[in-house]
Amino acid sequence: MSAQLDAVAVNLLGSVEHPEFGDSPYRVDAEGKPYVPVGDGGIVLGLALGDSVFALDGDHAAPGACLTHRDPAARHALVLYSCIGNEAVVRSGAASGAKGAVIGKRGEAGRVITGFRQADLAMMRPGDQVSVRARGQGFRPGWLPAEVSMMSLDPDLLAALPIAAADDGTVGVGVRAVLPSRLAGNGLGRPAAGWDLDLQVRHGDDTELRLGDLVAIEDVDGRYNMGYRSGWVSVGVVVHGGSPLPGHGPGMTPILTGPRSALVTTPDVGGHAGLTAALLKLQ
Amino acid sequence: MKAATNASRLVSQVLTGEVWPALADRHGYRIGPDGQPFLLPGMGGVTLGVHCGDAATGYASDHLEPGASIRHADPAANMAVQFLSCVGNEVTVTSGPAAGATGHVIGQHAYVLVDFTEAETAELTTGDAVSIAAVGQGLRLTEHPSIVVKNCSPGLIAAMPGGSTQDGRLEVHVAARIPAEAMGAGVGMISEYANTDLMGAYAGLGEDLSLGLESLRVGDIVAMADQDHRFGRGYRPGYLTIGVISTGQCMLFGHGPGPSSLLSGPAEAFRILDDPAANLASWYHRPGRPGGSAEGGGRP
Repeated sequence: MSAQLDAVAVNLLGSVEHPEFGDSPYRVDAEGKPYVPVGDGGIVLGLALGDSVFALDGDHAAPGACLTHRDPAARHALVLYSCIGNEAVVRSGAASGAKGAVIGKRGEAGRVITGFRQADLAMMRPGDQVSVRARGQGFRPGWLPAEVSMMSLDPDLLAALPIAAADDGTVGVGVRAVLPSRLAGNGLGRPAAGWDLDLQVRHGDDTELRLGDLVAIEDVDGRYNMGYRSGWVSVGVVVHGGSPLPGHGPGMTPILTGPRSALVTTPDVGGHAGLTAALLKLQ
Repeated sequence: MKAATNASRLVSQVLTGEVWPALADRHGYRIGPDGQPFLLPGMGGVTLGVHCGDAATGYASDHLEPGASIRHADPAANMAVQFLSCVGNEVTVTSGPAAGATGHVIGQHAYVLVDFTEAETAELTTGDAVSIAAVGQGLRLTEHPSIVVKNCSPGLIAAMPGGSTQDGRLEVHVAARIPAEAMGAGVGMISEYANTDLMGAYAGLGEDLSLGLESLRVGDIVAMADQDHRFGRGYRPGYLTIGVISTGQCMLFGHGPGPSSLLSGPAEAFRILDDPAANLASWYHRPGRPGGSAEGGGRP
C-alpha cells in the first residue's frame, strides 16, 4: 500500500451561478408532460440539509448556492478539486465575508454546491464571488483498506461522518439506504471525482432520502468512471433533490467505492445522520 | 399482420451533412474499467470493417461507430440532422470518389451513423458530403397508442417481422434481451439524441464486469427491460424499450455497445420473440443489393 500523503489545499474562485434556459421554457417529464424546471442551479432558498429530496417541486434543486466559473477548464478544476466539507467564503456583494461549506458537486459542465446560513444566502446574488479552500483529492487515511478508494471528501470532515475502520480490516459506513444498481441513472459512465450520480427513486418509495444522507448503491465501481461491477458498492452524499426528468433523480456525490468485502454498508432507515448543517457549522 | 401506421401522413425532408472527423484532445488517454489508460480509435470519421450483422465487441476500439459518422457543420442544423434522421433512412454520398453510393442510418450517437457496403466505406473519408432522406419522427402505430415510436423510419417498421397480434399487442422479434442493470451512459438523455451505452459487454475483461452481453452484434434489435424511453431514457419497472445496437466496443468504463431507442411502452403492450435474425442486416445492406432501399419496399 502506498504511503499516506498530505492533502494539498488550494484556494479556488467560483462565482454564484445564474439559472439558464434555452429558447424554450419547457422540459418534458417521464409522462411526456412539459414542465418549467425550477431550482436547477443558481441560488435555492428555503431548502436545507435534512430536508426530503422531494420537499420541493423542483428540478435538481440543491440546498444553497451553486458555483461555476466562466472559463470551462477553470470550471472543471473548481469542480474536480472541491471536496465536501471544504470552507467557502463569499468575497463580493452584500454577503461578503459570509462563510459556508461545500455540500457536493454536480457534473456535465460542472457545479459546486455550497451551503450557507439562510440569512447569508438571502443576501447573495448570482455573480457573487466565492472562494473555496479546496482540499481532499488524493487524501486517503492510513486505515482505509487498499481496495477502497476515497474522493471528494475534506479530511477534516471524515471523522464526523459515520465512516470507521473495523477490527477485521474493513471499513464500515452507516447509510440511509442501500440501493440496487438498476436505480443508477444519469452520471453512469462519467468520472466520479467530478460528477454526481442521479438515483432513479421516486416520491413514495419505501425509503425517502434526505439531503445530506449517505447512500450506497450496489454493483457500481466509482474509482474512475462510474459503471457496473458486480460485488462492488459506491457510497455518496445526497446533494440535490429529485427531478421529473426520466433517468434523473436525487443525486449523490460519490465519496467511497470498493468491493463489498472491504467496504461494508449498514442501512439505518430511521436513525441515519449523514452530512448535517451542524457538522458544516451552517446553523 | 403488419402494424398499421400513420406513415402516409409523415413529412419527409432532405438534410445534408458531412463525414465528421474523429475528435481527440492533446492528453490522448482515457481510462478503462480497471484503471487502464487507453488510446483507441472507433468514434468519428469512417470506421472500416464493421457493419450490421458483425460482432459489436471484440475490437481494439472505443465507442466503435460502424461506417460513416455524420454531422452538419452548423450547430443548429446539426441538431436537426441528429433529431430528424431515423434508423432506416437512406443516405446518399454527394461528393468525393464514393459519390452516388447509398447507405442507411443505423442509429445516432451524437453523430448520425450510416452503414454502407465495405467497398463503399473504403472510398469515404472525412469531409465527404451526404444527403439524408429524413422521415420517421412523428410515426405512430395507430393500433398501439401506448407504444411511442422513436427514431424509426416507416420502412424499418414495414421490414421488421412481427406486427399486431390478435390480442392487441405488438409482436417484435429481438436478437437479445437486456437487463436494466446494463444501462449505462446515456441514461437521462433525450431519446432522439445519441444512444444508451450498455455496460456488461467488455469482451476479454473481468468476469465481474460481465452481464452476458459480449455476443451482441451491430444492428441487433434488442429488448431493454424496465426501460421507459418514451420521453427520455429512464428506469421504470413494467416498461419495455426496443432498440437497435448502433455502436460497438467500448473501453471507457460505464459505456459499451449502444442501442438507439426505437419503440417504448408498457411491457404488456408487446409480445417479444427471440430471433437471432432480428438484425438490420436482414433488411438492409445485403450483399449484392444494388444500392436499393428498404424504405417502403419491405424485405428484399
